[in-house]
Amino acid sequence: MNAPLLIARRDLTELARGGRLYWMGGLLLVLLVTSLAVGWQRQRESQGERARAQALDYADWLAQPERHPHDAAHQGMHVFKPEAALSIVDPGIAPYVGSTLWLRAHRQTEVKFRPAQDATGLMRFGSLSAAWVLQLLGPLLVIVLGFAALSGEREQGTLRQTLSLGVSMREVLWGKALALAAMLALLLVPAGLAAAPAVLLSAEPGARADAALRLAGLAAAYALYLTAFVFLVLAVSAWATSSRLSLVCLLGLWVALVLVLPRLLADASRAWVPSESRREFDRHLGADLGAATQQAWTDRFGAGKPFGSGVPLSQWGAGLRVHDQAGYGVMDRHFDALWDSYARQQELQGWAGVLSPTIAVRALSMGLAGTDFDEHRAFSTAAEAQRRLMQDLISDDLVEHADGHGEQHFTYRAARELWARVPPFEYRPASAEVALGRNLQSVALLLGAAVFWVVIAHAAVARRSHG
Amino acid sequence: MLMSIAAEKGTAIAPALEAVGVSKSFGAVRALDDVSLGVRPGEIYCLLGANGAGKTTLINLFLGFLEPTSGEVWVDGRRVRQDPLQCKRFVAYIPEQVMLYGVLSGYENLRYFAELGTGERHAREPLLALLQEAGLEPKAADQRVSTYSKGMRQKVGIAIALAKRARALLLDEPTSGLDPSAASEFSALLEKARADGVAILTTTHDLFHAQRSGTRVGIMRRGRLVADLRTSDLGTRDLESLYLEHMSA
Repeated sequence: MNAPLLIARRDLTELARGGRLYWMGGLLLVLLVTSLAVGWQRQRESQGERARAQALDYADWLAQPERHPHDAAHQGMHVFKPEAALSIVDPGIAPYVGSTLWLRAHRQTEVKFRPAQDATGLMRFGSLSAAWVLQLLGPLLVIVLGFAALSGEREQGTLRQTLSLGVSMREVLWGKALALAAMLALLLVPAGLAAAPAVLLSAEPGARADAALRLAGLAAAYALYLTAFVFLVLAVSAWATSSRLSLVCLLGLWVALVLVLPRLLADASRAWVPSESRREFDRHLGADLGAATQQAWTDRFGAGKPFGSGVPLSQWGAGLRVHDQAGYGVMDRHFDALWDSYARQQELQGWAGVLSPTIAVRALSMGLAGTDFDEHRAFSTAAEAQRRLMQDLISDDLVEHADGHGEQHFTYRAARELWARVPPFEYRPASAEVALGRNLQSVALLLGAAVFWVVIAHAAVARRSHG
Repeated sequence: MLMSIAAEKGTAIAPALEAVGVSKSFGAVRALDDVSLGVRPGEIYCLLGANGAGKTTLINLFLGFLEPTSGEVWVDGRRVRQDPLQCKRFVAYIPEQVMLYGVLSGYENLRYFAELGTGERHAREPLLALLQEAGLEPKAADQRVSTYSKGMRQKVGIAIALAKRARALLLDEPTSGLDPSAASEFSALLEKARADGVAILTTTHDLFHAQRSGTRVGIMRRGRLVADLRTSDLGTRDLESLYLEHMSA
């Protein structure tokens, strides 16, 4: 057996006979299993509720009596964002941005929306999820198990005894890293295996392979994240002159890297790329919509006031179509600008992953779980496309059937077949490959963090090659 | 470039452990000053000197834990500073206080360090035999080391050195903490190793032990090797008086 394996085996034996692995590891395991169970229960409930609500709402749409189509457009329909299978592990921003959209005439609506990163700072302290446990408590577990890995052996003199045998510090380092990795695997692999069936059962039958890929990606992401912390802990333990100093430094780094920096950088990114407040957004959108529609009415009908007396009721349907379609570009511009500002904030925060692996793993975790801002934006865009489809179908029907009624325009009643021409809303989340592609920056940063700390740990032990 | 004494003199049997013109300074403090000595296979070189004379520093140079400020240290014909790992694999080291893992038993500590030092798997029975050879009571082998006395730890350290089957031993006051009977058993073990051709460099304050067990004796004072002689050349002279003579010079 080679030296790192021997060292790892001995470390594991020593830890198994000590208390740290049991109380800290046990606590983490309990939290992890509890969060997975809670996540599964919550997801099952909301998944069922959303599917039922989606079906009921569409049935309501189809069951409308013969009526003026514009009345139907004002009734509109609701669409519900499907719950991602991996939300069991990482609910991401979903709890903060809502999941229901009311699609109705004239105006793109939004789910109860906040800047995505509002959900990632202090607010996240309140939500227990497996991702939260791994992101915050995973590094703490590594610290508790590993702070004395090298400093403690140096204090006891056993490191000198080991080195006198012709074992290199590099071998000692890798032995310690292996031991820590094995301990983490001992705790996390069973939790992962417990989560796998729940995730696969939560996914649609056709999306199970995709869910499995995402889960494998998440496992790899967290493995990389914890690897970075394993070597960070070993680097500090090698550098510190005492175990007490090592623990103090590591706890300070944990507070800085895991708690403070992510929050600080989220705030900094919002200051750097400010986004409009809800009130500002509504005011600007309303003003631009008013101007655009007025211009469209003027261009089309020579009438300055939309739906004014200057346009006869025989052109009410055509006017409606002009009115709505004039707003599409305006809404696209405003929503894109808003969402782009959130995306830029996220991108900035993503680069901040250079400073803290927690930021990188958080973004990657949400991305792979399908609970991130990109997925939310894709759903909102798909919902708006459905709204416009409904609206355009109704306007076309009015032009075709109601405008011919002249002043009796509003006596027109559409048959039920019209409602059925609006298809049920179906949203397919992006595939695992697309989700990974969107998060390559985070993958690179996590990989970079792991490599960086491996290099630093090697440099730290090289300084201590004399024990 | 500094040459080993054997290479320079063309001696047939090269020293397994050799220091050539070695000095070591820690800031303004000169711990070793131009020390040259060699320990050939089958020799027990006892290094005497007061605390702070530089004995442990010299051992640390042979182990590659320190690098000389000037001069060169050789193990098995290899420069320690060039190939410290290979040199350490050639030697076994027993410090004044053998440090072991308290939650492991004496046997588990021995198995761990033996496998680490040799890269081979070791069966239980031969290891238990080594512990017994080192003087540890059989019933103590499976007790946690945290319950051991200092002497018992030293015995495990001796067993570790024996298990390594090293061609050179570096011993830093190894009998410190051993009772007289254990120290005597240890001397017998050293003699057996010497007879097997092992080169042994040991620091000690025990003049009686040095005169009885050593084949050579070196006396260090303030970082300098002030005497280097064969014990057989001492004749009827008393080592104690020679030692005191050098110390008071």
